[in-house]
Amino acid sequence: MTNTTSNQESEQSSSETIQESLLGQLESQEFGLRGLWSDAFRRLLRNRLSLIGLIIVLCTYATAIVGPFLAPYDYLDQNLEQIALPPNTDHWLGTDDVGRDYFSRLLHAMRTAVLISILVPLLTLIIGVTLGSVSAYSGRTVDNTIMRLADIVMTIPTILFAALINASIAEPLEIVMGNLHEQTGWSFLTNTVYLDYLIVFSSLALISWPGEARLIRGQILSLREQEYVLAARAVGATTGQIMLKHLAPNALGPVIVSFTFSMSSAMILEASLSYLGIGIQPPGASLGSMINRSMSTWRTWPHLIAIPAIVLGIVTLAINFLGDGLNDALNPRQSGK
Amino acid sequence: MTKYLILRLLGIIPLLLVVLVIIFTLGHLAPGDPIEMMYESMETVVATEEMVERARARLGLDQPLYLQFIRYARNILRGDLGDSIVRSRPVLGMILKVFPISAQLGLLAFIVLVMTGIPLGILAASKQNTAVDYFIVGGSLFLRTVPVYVLAPLLFIILVLRLDVMNVPYGWRGISHPNVIMPTLMLILFPLAVVIRQMRIGILEVMDNDYVRTARAKGLRERQVILTHVMRNAITPVVTSLGLIVTGLITGSIFIEQIFGIPGYGNLFVTSLIQRDYPLMMGCTLFGAFLIMMSNLIVDFVYPFLDPRVTL
Repeated sequence: MTNTTSNQESEQSSSETIQESLLGQLESQEFGLRGLWSDAFRRLLRNRLSLIGLIIVLCTYATAIVGPFLAPYDYLDQNLEQIALPPNTDHWLGTDDVGRDYFSRLLHAMRTAVLISILVPLLTLIIGVTLGSVSAYSGRTVDNTIMRLADIVMTIPTILFAALINASIAEPLEIVMGNLHEQTGWSFLTNTVYLDYLIVFSSLALISWPGEARLIRGQILSLREQEYVLAARAVGATTGQIMLKHLAPNALGPVIVSFTFSMSSAMILEASLSYLGIGIQPPGASLGSMINRSMSTWRTWPHLIAIPAIVLGIVTLAINFLGDGLNDALNPRQSGK
Repeated sequence: MTKYLILRLLGIIPLLLVVLVIIFTLGHLAPGDPIEMMYESMETVVATEEMVERARARLGLDQPLYLQFIRYARNILRGDLGDSIVRSRPVLGMILKVFPISAQLGLLAFIVLVMTGIPLGILAASKQNTAVDYFIVGGSLFLRTVPVYVLAPLLFIILVLRLDVMNVPYGWRGISHPNVIMPTLMLILFPLAVVIRQMRIGILEVMDNDYVRTARAKGLRERQVILTHVMRNAITPVVTSLGLIVTGLITGSIFIEQIFGIPGYGNLFVTSLIQRDYPLMMGCTLFGAFLIMMSNLIVDFVYPFLDPRVTL
């Protein structure tokens, strides 16, 4: 008896929830919202840590975009009469060891970090999507080759590998760019700052694609076995339609999450390379090289090392909080534990 | 069983070969002609065109690229990683001379890691979704995210400048000197999160098994259930992440040895970077990759003994 009543109850409640969800869908359609994404967004905002992360990340990006225009001084201007001043009203964060305004330098370093944190994951994503989908859709030999290669790249320690690539491709790339400059006459091609960026981008993308490629391959392999893909195929959808309408939206969640995490890891890797003295070279500003430069003088001028260190720490933490929140919001089924 | 082990051992050869190809290619791209550098270092000799050509032929640098690669691979199999440009000494000798220091530090860090990470993982799992759990998992993630070159100077400023409770433990005075405490603690920060996470997930997964319920049903205390029944099976994921842990220790050693002035493997690599000593850089990278491959191999060998259910 009790069983049947509880069954009825649960049936009733489940039909209610179905009704509710249908109503919810109707409502969201009325307001032109997409159910899945607005749900995910609401879940994200409910998580306090990731909300803080989101705010910090947005602030950082805004600072990186407009900051250098608002910088009170030129970030390269040296003033040897004002070396390593503590923070004051003229120089908000003081000056560094050759008298450059530290606040202006920090703004430029943040632009570097933000630029790297967007472009490197993008480049990684492009390589990862290409190799991952080729791997998933082609035969066993190609698949095996690509996945083995991914394993091998992962066995070489990241920093060592990135440093080696960075140091080796610097000069050949300079020569290539020099030749291009002679042919086209575009002067930015020989600009060393751009060159540094290019070298860091490519070395970081070259070492971080395996994770992305594996993720994409796994997503494609598991999603294309789903019943709704079969159903779509049965009603005559083309492969392109299936990929755009069914595979892409479903694979997007995990990809967004991994993109967020690779944003913070790219930022840290760039800082690490610059810290080791092979990333962004001296006239350019980078948080890593700022930390490295002031490492030897931390006793006398602690603020010079504390400021970039704290900024780097806070920004990477914020991105990771955001990533965790996105993971919970976009993949609610997986985030049980 | 033996067949599996032999196959695994053989499987490392193509892996090593591809790593060699990658590193050789990068070394080939690297700037600087070894012959010119050699004659530049000999200031008294003015190299004629003919001498350069002869030296090139002697070292096989005039041969096609694939022959050069075969030569390079053969040398490496013989234990010859080339000579350092700056110090003109064999690279392998230089690495092996300083590696024991890093190995001691790494081993100490590994022991501390196991002794802290596993209990913390167990604690987090047994208090799942409580403040303790969040604190352990969140804290370890925090320490993993923030790079050590950010954390170390900030700690120095607080502990040395503000509180004045210690001095910077700079230099290497043997493994028993208290100077190793700070570097070791910093070295485990990155792998600690890996160990805690794997241990926690392992325990949570094993907890759902029937035999755990049986153990509880027969009246064992929770402590006994976890230590005697759950632990044994939950530790496998931790062992499988050994490769990741070794990677973390190698990466960490690069920054930590430089910050604390320890003359080990990591410091050697940083020196090679600063001096643009390509053969040394390539040797260090190869050595690191070799260490990680070996630890993955150890995992593969140990795994069947830990979990007999694994079919080979």
